[in-house]
Amino acid sequence: MSDMLTAAFLSALISGGILAGMPLLFASLGETISERGGVLNIGLEGMMLMGGYTGFVVTLYSQSHWLGLLAGAGAGLITALLMVVFCVRLGLDQIVVGIAILIAAGGFTSVLQRAQFGTTYPRLDAMSAVEIPLFAKIPVIGPSLFAQPAIVYVGFALVAVLHWVLRSTNMGLNLRAAGEKPEALDAAGVSVTAVRSIAALSAGAFAGLGGAYMSIVGAGIFVPFMTHGAGFIGIVIAMLGRGRALWVVIGSLLFGMSVSLTTALQLVGITVPIDVVNMLPFVAVLVVLVIFARQAYLPAALGLPYKRGIR
Amino acid sequence: MGERISKTGPIWAFVALIVLGLGLLAVGCGDGETTTTAAPDTTTTAAPDTTTTTAAAPEKEVTKIGVVVPEEGSDYGWNQEGVESAQALADELGVGIEVADGAGYEDPGPVLRQLVDNGADFLFAHASGYATQAMQVAEETKVPVVVIGAFEGGLVPGLSQDLETHAEEGSYLAGYLAAKMTKTKTLGIVISADDENWTKMAGGFVAGARSAMPDAKVIMAQIGQAGYADAAGGKRVTEAVIAGGADVVYGMGDGSSFGMIQAAETAKPPAGADKVWFIDVIGDKTSLDKKGVYLTSVWWDYLPLFKQAVQAYKDGTFGTEVFYMSVANDSIKLIKTDHIPDEVWAELEKIKADIISGAVEVPVLTDKAAVEALIKQ
Repeated sequence: MSDMLTAAFLSALISGGILAGMPLLFASLGETISERGGVLNIGLEGMMLMGGYTGFVVTLYSQSHWLGLLAGAGAGLITALLMVVFCVRLGLDQIVVGIAILIAAGGFTSVLQRAQFGTTYPRLDAMSAVEIPLFAKIPVIGPSLFAQPAIVYVGFALVAVLHWVLRSTNMGLNLRAAGEKPEALDAAGVSVTAVRSIAALSAGAFAGLGGAYMSIVGAGIFVPFMTHGAGFIGIVIAMLGRGRALWVVIGSLLFGMSVSLTTALQLVGITVPIDVVNMLPFVAVLVVLVIFARQAYLPAALGLPYKRGIR
Repeated sequence: MGERISKTGPIWAFVALIVLGLGLLAVGCGDGETTTTAAPDTTTTAAPDTTTTTAAAPEKEVTKIGVVVPEEGSDYGWNQEGVESAQALADELGVGIEVADGAGYEDPGPVLRQLVDNGADFLFAHASGYATQAMQVAEETKVPVVVIGAFEGGLVPGLSQDLETHAEEGSYLAGYLAAKMTKTKTLGIVISADDENWTKMAGGFVAGARSAMPDAKVIMAQIGQAGYADAAGGKRVTEAVIAGGADVVYGMGDGSSFGMIQAAETAKPPAGADKVWFIDVIGDKTSLDKKGVYLTSVWWDYLPLFKQAVQAYKDGTFGTEVFYMSVANDSIKLIKTDHIPDEVWAELEKIKADIISGAVEVPVLTDKAAVEALIKQ
């Protein structure tokens, strides 16, 4: 076992945890914004798939990873327009619409992929890593944490930005009001519909970015249904995060590292049944859920449509 | 703002249900295409071509073949092999063919009935999850069907013929080749799921590698419980295997295989190696190999067995005994790429002959624990 625990191996496992955690981070940040605004976005996984497919196609043809990531975010945002129209504007059931988006996006991207790349399966070059001077030289954690594609650093920067926006700006205040007491926000002269629309669109953009990360950076290819439940995990992490961006980071990386740990346990020859090993990430999330659920703060108007004068 | 609310119970119950559902999905789901019923751990010599002549019957004719596969017939894997083999069979017989690909993993019954309505008089239900429904359709319509993964349960004389594989024999050759190509003396195995076919092939690979290099170190990792399409997971796990020292990776995954290849192309080779080789299964992706990492594939060519099934139908022995894909009937083989040195290929040909003759015995391990025990030896 000990001969496996080289610096390169440990570094690869940490990198693997980040690779698995970043799509969850983007998706759960988006869900956090959406939930803060009172919109429960069950279609997050569908938006990830749309972002993943679009990001892959744009990167393939433009040979620009950044353009692809941007396009992925755009595709998620456009998909989220459905949430805006049906849930925010028309007040339809958010769970039903979210599930519809999930199913439709899965089928849509699958058909497109098979029609366009079903015989060629093109792959992308790896996105080049950006080394942080000095830090990248630290053994084990240097190559894994400080020599990542720039989008990883952007992701962590977005956490800080979102944390600031939610806590210290009028926009954040309006967002929280839309999720807690939309009638109060309405009475203050701010359009609840507009705030919730922005929240839903932001969630779509973040989810699309997460999907694009998965296809462009994570795999270098798009295959149908490749998100593999990441959207739902993102929803859970957002709820665990209680609307706080920093908790969302912890939850995402916890899950990612747990996933990577399952690989490590197998490779070092730990004699634990594989079923148990593969349950580890889910158990980790469940344990955290049990510990923190009783202290959960969820917006009072989460999932409820708002129409002036009705409530 | 931010007040503690008391109505979180239903939402948290919903969250818990999602997590539990995902967990159960991960534990319980399998790919119907590749799940097979258990077979005992045994050791095989040359897998026999098991046609038996039981009773003489008037020769029957095939005029149109119908084939149904769960996904697109252009996946460079299971589905493509099924479709192309059926197409080649139809061409050889000079009969028509109708392909229904992308039929999914649920009930293929309506699709099979439609094929029969359209004139198909010989069916291939090309997924192990299809066997039960396909046999029902055969009973209803009296049109013979070839099923996969049901073993003796898939045999109904004159109506249903089961096909199985001894892919471990091809994997033995792949393992031998991997041991000849490695510079780090460490070989990696990546599987997408706890799948019996993958297990058998992993066992054959380890045995083949150890036959060429007794001290070869083998490390194995599984992506998930049903990570067939998890390309990102395939890349992540393969990168870890490479970081663990493997410079030859044997990958079994369906869609996740593309992530594995990506890792072989982009990961930094382990110390002592200048590149990472990838060995594939079932299909032939050599045309997709842009960076010269695709060493070979353990190719499953269904055509010999499809032909055998049609012949059995004509002879009246259809559905009387399970047919096995093997190196002996040339349905399991390694793809020769330019990366394989000629002298190594010559050695592989000799080992192949030894497998067929019985001089080399390939273990058939259907239990992953048995493979792990073999790796630790």
